[in-house]
Amino acid sequence: MSTILDLHSHSEASEDSRAPLEAYLNWLKLRRAERPVDGIVLTEHRQFNGSADYRALEDRFGIMVLKASEVETDYGHVLVFGVTDEMTRRFDFANVRLPAQEVIDEVARMGGIAVPCHPGRPNVGLCEHYTRKPALENVIAVEVLNGGSRKGEDERSEELVRTHGYGAIGGSDSHLVSLIGLCATRFDADIRTIDDLVRELKTGAYEPVDFRPRRKPVHHAVAVEVK
Amino acid sequence: MAEIKTVKSYEDVQIGEALGPEEMYLSKDQVRSYARATGMWVPRFTDDEGARKEGLPGMITPGNMSLAVLSKLVTDWVGTSGARMIRLGTTYRQPVLPDHTITLHGFVTHKNDDDRTAEMDVWIESDENERLVIGTATVQFPK
Amino acid sequence: MAVNYDPALIGRVFETTDPVPVTAEMIAKFTEAIGETNPLHTDPEAARRGPYGSLTAPPSFAVTFRNGQHFFQHVPRFGKQGFDAGKDVEFVAPIHPGDSITLSSHVKEIYEKTGRTGSMVFVIVRSTLKNQNGEVVAHVDHRFMNRT
Repeated sequence: MSTILDLHSHSEASEDSRAPLEAYLNWLKLRRAERPVDGIVLTEHRQFNGSADYRALEDRFGIMVLKASEVETDYGHVLVFGVTDEMTRRFDFANVRLPAQEVIDEVARMGGIAVPCHPGRPNVGLCEHYTRKPALENVIAVEVLNGGSRKGEDERSEELVRTHGYGAIGGSDSHLVSLIGLCATRFDADIRTIDDLVRELKTGAYEPVDFRPRRKPVHHAVAVEVK
Repeated sequence: MAEIKTVKSYEDVQIGEALGPEEMYLSKDQVRSYARATGMWVPRFTDDEGARKEGLPGMITPGNMSLAVLSKLVTDWVGTSGARMIRLGTTYRQPVLPDHTITLHGFVTHKNDDDRTAEMDVWIESDENERLVIGTATVQFPK
Repeated sequence: MAVNYDPALIGRVFETTDPVPVTAEMIAKFTEAIGETNPLHTDPEAARRGPYGSLTAPPSFAVTFRNGQHFFQHVPRFGKQGFDAGKDVEFVAPIHPGDSITLSSHVKEIYEKTGRTGSMVFVIVRSTLKNQNGEVVAHVDHRFMNRT
């Protein structure tokens, strides 16, 4: 019984996304054949909404919605799964310079898991930081497949995984409704709750999955005539 | 060339419906024409050498022009239905280099029955399938 | 909040430009440059029969109006040169040849984040376009990105 989850997405709660959660779920329902995702994880920028309850939407669309956060550290961006009140008291999620090693270790101690995301991206990804600073300890997995990556970035992330033996996850990093679920993570286990997810990320088996369509070559179109 | 649909009511609009895709070859001449028309005759939008002096790879397309082509993608889709584009938001992610074919994409992503508006994702893709400019638009249908 | 600025800045109009007259020629050059062929924007005869009763500029014409010479002196700076990261436009009313457009600008929001190019402070400036009748034609939100 496997579970496929888009582990990285931004709804209108993130300042750079206008995508309502309902529209995301409806899109996944529409595109089920090409993006067979069982659930999504909302990883809003620099915030966590502890009280948000999405059960009604989950029931309506038959798609799981879990909550996490994307925070910013001195080693780049990090996804935090299993956010608790204790964590939000310990760290100011709005701080764009959180100490990464502390985030990794304290989040683990408090029962969650911190996963560096888009490590191959300039400035806000691990790869670049590792060229000038000691590698972080206790990193279990990184996001190797990110829907917003540019050429070469995910390849750099894969190299990092090979060097350090990290686990690899995938997520769409969608900020637009139509991009949800294009990249995801397939877990061997059955996942129903955030606790299941945290446990599986720490000790389970999983791999990134890519649902992006293969592209046809672009033809040279006719130029607009100008005087 | 995008087909200009002439009959589109709020009820007809389907979530998942595509705008375009429309391929267009954005020539340097066209970018210069835009720069001249809008009073932006500056090196970065008109001259490769001048643009390189500013640290750019060559002359680039003005952000406003990217916004204009995406705006046209939406207004073409609206056609003569009586609906009106009331909002367009764009994010410039990478420079749009002229003398390349770009593809304009869009999808209707949700509808609001309360106010009879439809939302769509729109974006410009390079000839290497990278998303250069992304955005969303809102179209208001008649009550 | 790590970013320092005077909160009184937010919402305070810092510039209103002199009216810019809109001519049919300006609109024609614009439509030609973007390959616009919709008769509502290119054919006065057809436009007369359209929803506005006369020729109108395409909506994106609204973002071509320039801010004043001293605009950037009033936009808070954080670190190095600001870049235009994108625009959000609300299209309220059409623009016709013969209209006269002014822009009034104020700082709408300031926030910080990190991204591909490093630490960034975003300054959102809203420019409101009005015509000669004082009617709002559009709101253009400019998102300026400063690298710190």
